Amino acid sequence: MTSPTDTSGTQPSDTHAAVSARVPLWRDVVVLKWVTQVFLLVVVLGAMWFLASQAGDNLRARNINTEFDFIERPVDIQLGEGIDTHPDTGGRALWTGMVNTLRLSLAGIIFATALGVVVGLARLSDNWLVRQLGSLWVETLRNIPLLVQMVFYFSILTTLPRVGLDTGPINGWLHISNKGISMPRVFIADGFYQWLVVVLIGAAVGRYVHRRRSRIHDETGADTSPVLWALGTVAAFGVVGLFVHPAFSWLGGVFGAVAGVLDALPLVVPQILLCGVALGVTATWILRFLAAHRSARGHLSLTDDDWFRVLFAAAASLAVVYLMVRWTGLSSWILNSGRDLFEVIEAKFDVDGAARPFDAMRPDIVQKGKFPNYGTNGLTMTLGFAAVFFAVVFYTSAFIGENVRGGILAVPKGQTEAALAVGLTRGQVLRRVVLPQAFRVILPPTGNQYLNLTKNTSLAVAVGFSEIVQVGTTVFNQTGRTLPVVAIWMLFYLSCSLTISVIVNWFNVRMKLVER
Amino acid sequence: MSELSSTTGNLEVPYTPPPATPHLAPREWVRANLFSTPFNSVLTVMSALILATIGRGLLSFLFNPIRQWDATATNLRLLMTQAYPEEQYLRVWVCTAVILILTGLSLAVWRAGSHVPVTKVGRNLLATGAVVALMTLLAPFSASATVQWLVAAAVVAGAGETLRRGVGMRASASGAGGSDESGDQVATISTLTLIAIALGGLVASLWVVPYGHHSYLMDRTPRVLAEPGTVAMTTKLPWTIMLLIVVAATFLGRSMRDRLPTNATRATLLVAWLLAPPTLLYLVLRDPSFDMGHVLGTDLPIFGAYAIGGGLLLSWLTRPTTGEIGRIVAAVVLVVGFCTFLTPMRMIVRIDMLMLASFALAAPTFAGGPRARRRYVTGWLGVLGVSSWLITAINTPSTVDVPGDFFIGGLSLTFIVAVFTIVVSFPLGILLALARTSTMPIFRLLATWFIEFVRGVPLITILIFFSIMVPLFLPRGMELGEVAAVVIGYALFSSAYLAENVRGGLQSVTRGQHEAAEAVGMTTGQKTVFIVLPQALRVSIPPLVGHCIGVFKETSLLAIIGLFDVLYIARVVMPNQTEFMGSTRENVLFVSLIYWIFAYQMSKASMRLERRTGLGER
Repeated sequence: MTSPTDTSGTQPSDTHAAVSARVPLWRDVVVLKWVTQVFLLVVVLGAMWFLASQAGDNLRARNINTEFDFIERPVDIQLGEGIDTHPDTGGRALWTGMVNTLRLSLAGIIFATALGVVVGLARLSDNWLVRQLGSLWVETLRNIPLLVQMVFYFSILTTLPRVGLDTGPINGWLHISNKGISMPRVFIADGFYQWLVVVLIGAAVGRYVHRRRSRIHDETGADTSPVLWALGTVAAFGVVGLFVHPAFSWLGGVFGAVAGVLDALPLVVPQILLCGVALGVTATWILRFLAAHRSARGHLSLTDDDWFRVLFAAAASLAVVYLMVRWTGLSSWILNSGRDLFEVIEAKFDVDGAARPFDAMRPDIVQKGKFPNYGTNGLTMTLGFAAVFFAVVFYTSAFIGENVRGGILAVPKGQTEAALAVGLTRGQVLRRVVLPQAFRVILPPTGNQYLNLTKNTSLAVAVGFSEIVQVGTTVFNQTGRTLPVVAIWMLFYLSCSLTISVIVNWFNVRMKLVER
Repeated sequence: MSELSSTTGNLEVPYTPPPATPHLAPREWVRANLFSTPFNSVLTVMSALILATIGRGLLSFLFNPIRQWDATATNLRLLMTQAYPEEQYLRVWVCTAVILILTGLSLAVWRAGSHVPVTKVGRNLLATGAVVALMTLLAPFSASATVQWLVAAAVVAGAGETLRRGVGMRASASGAGGSDESGDQVATISTLTLIAIALGGLVASLWVVPYGHHSYLMDRTPRVLAEPGTVAMTTKLPWTIMLLIVVAATFLGRSMRDRLPTNATRATLLVAWLLAPPTLLYLVLRDPSFDMGHVLGTDLPIFGAYAIGGGLLLSWLTRPTTGEIGRIVAAVVLVVGFCTFLTPMRMIVRIDMLMLASFALAAPTFAGGPRARRRYVTGWLGVLGVSSWLITAINTPSTVDVPGDFFIGGLSLTFIVAVFTIVVSFPLGILLALARTSTMPIFRLLATWFIEFVRGVPLITILIFFSIMVPLFLPRGMELGEVAAVVIGYALFSSAYLAENVRGGLQSVTRGQHEAAEAVGMTTGQKTVFIVLPQALRVSIPPLVGHCIGVFKETSLLAIIGLFDVLYIARVVMPNQTEFMGSTRENVLFVSLIYWIFAYQMSKASMRLERRTGLGER
């Protein structure tokens, strides 16, 4: 009973050996299974090799180059917006596009979540009219393709009035015109990083305060409101930090020293470290896996599938080791980027002592040539950005709204009734009973929506917003390197998706642990 | 109830009135639902303001005299079929008619539609009238237009009230005392009848209401002709015929369904649905001019050889007594199939060989008595015939003379891409799902990698890749149209998502089912095909319908890669016509309406299906 059951229904290996002595080879299930799999693998690899060789021939015949050299080469591209509108190299152009994509996705995720929660709650409201409004929102937006919406918003925005030197709904504060939307901007100034150090210290202290207040609450039952206390501590540090932050300018030297150490390290160190980590992790995993498949009496029973997993893990870790040893460029890249990172941080601390952490500016309008245009002071959404932003936020909010509604409906009614019966107010019931339980149901599908939103920003290519796909299209139209650009796109989006799903999964696991 | 009716496949559930809710007087209802607390009152006022603003903004946009709605009205043909030649337009109507006939027959045979109480219809009409009246007051109409619209609203509301009152009175008169509560006497009307009445009214209005006569004259200098009057004869006559056809087909199906065996009829209809898209596209719309000498001299002999040889082989392989030697023969056929790629020969020979090999490998799963064997061989002949004919048709040049690469565009292209994507990705997705849940690690690994990779990248990158790069991956002498390449991209993308939906269904099949199937001696193939998949697919119907809606919406991405789908025409082609410069907003709004109608109807249908079959309540 204690031995773990496998899923395939094949027999344990030792009895299997006895049986297979009698079963001819072509009737042995395990043999047949592996023959099929290896055959399929050969077919897949063969097909890929065939296609790749065809592509190679065709590319050579048409004189198309597939090298990544355009990353270092100068290009003649002008981008609509981003951190660098006249990039020197193809790589820099793509990097600008990536930053724009991330900017758009992050803003979209935040606003879509906020709006989605409102929509979901509206659909559950006691108020008939609010409910109808919520349904109207969801049913309209979710059934019209995102691209169509995007194009529609864009065509509306382009017909807005022209920008003048002193126009806008609120002149000097908010401008809406056919050049986009411009509003006041709060931005981080030179002193920000020193201030951040103070806040981080505050967070550590706040954590201690939180723990302490919770313990008092647990022991005495007194209402100690630990969260409020912790937040208050952080806020106090933040306020004090506005005045004392120049005291931390010496930290720059520390980061500089770290950068120096990284620069001086030989290539072997990251190689040894990463190989050690890969081998260590794999070895632990394999040992745990074997332990889990061992019965109480120590009898190990592994199916062919289990063997495959163990061997595959071992092979993968060996591949990592081989890669690290053979490809020294990787380790030097790691060292160099680490050094660069610390040097950048060092530069952030190298500021005038009196620099403010934050600053704010009002939008301005400048006239350089014939027509007035927005200056760089304000927070400006260009037309493309605004169209994509509104489209993804509205579209995703309809889906998130449905997730929120479903999650709240999934909380049994008895929970609400019981909470009301013990005397909680409606707000308390929602905050302390319903939402924590609903959150668990809401999170996984909403994480999926975040993924979708990030991928959907790629449709911005239709309205000419300079995100990665649009920039990539421009780059390959100019350099003819379609295949490398497509590869970079896919790698970029895969890592975005992976990051988001790791974050969402982390929250998911935390949520599950709370549940008993 | 739902279990029983769904297992017999009967989707028609008799109408049972919902449990009586306490009926509130209008004033009490308003108080309970809109002004129960101060906060609620504030919410009500705010939402009313928002709704009024949206309504007013939309209406003043729609009815502004500077709107170029002429652009949409004139370019309807362009939006629907792009540049399909006018003198061949009968082909388009034939396709529409075939699809409508199939729809009508299916509606009747699957007993679609339910019955709604007449009072409810009346109430809805009343509400519609009220909404129209409210909108009229919000809209920026002239006084006479306002009066006209108000009169129309009053007529609708009056009709609704009459229905409600009249039927209510009849019910209370006939149900002598207390039968109202039992709910037996509620007068109902079929939803199909309602839809037919509504469509009939719409079509009749084409003959009566002066929508305006728009046409785009393609002379030496294209110019627009817009005259007052009813719509062109080329619009109203075909649509009237189409309506008559679908109604006739529904009646035909209704009279047929009781005389014919249900399952056989349904199976025939399903096959017809499956065959309709390629047949209509490649035979009717594309009109290939077959080279009869080549067909008779090459294609038919190849088909005949495979039909006879393959039929005999499969008939022998499906004999339960054949045993291992059959498998070895099947494996040999597979190896031969792959070896054909090493020597130059016709592609169709290789494809047929591979198909025969997969049929041979699957044969033991379908082994059985003479009936089962005959059916399997017939299946092989059908698949072989259809695929041979399709390959021949695709490789034959078209006689329809159109500019551009693909012979049809607009909404038709949208539908074609959506349908072919779903048809291709369905088997692919099921295979991927099976591989991902399989106990064979290499299958699982390949499927997982593929699915996670595809789900991690945006569709547009895949489409750009396929539309640009596919020609480079093909052997010399082989060509693939851009639309076909893009459909492959769509299908690969869609299959990864579909696989995840099917996987959910596969995981919901309980372990007992697997064990029971093994206990009665089924092979893994038989277990999968006859026990696991039917249950898994049934559970995954709701997410699969949602997936189909998604595919339909994603077809709009065709516009980005520059294919002439409905969005591209509305956004790029029409605003560049000299007469309709800058009509983008109107056109895109019209396109959103088209998409919205189809997607909304599909999602509503899926919800109804879910409720009827009780799938949502597990």
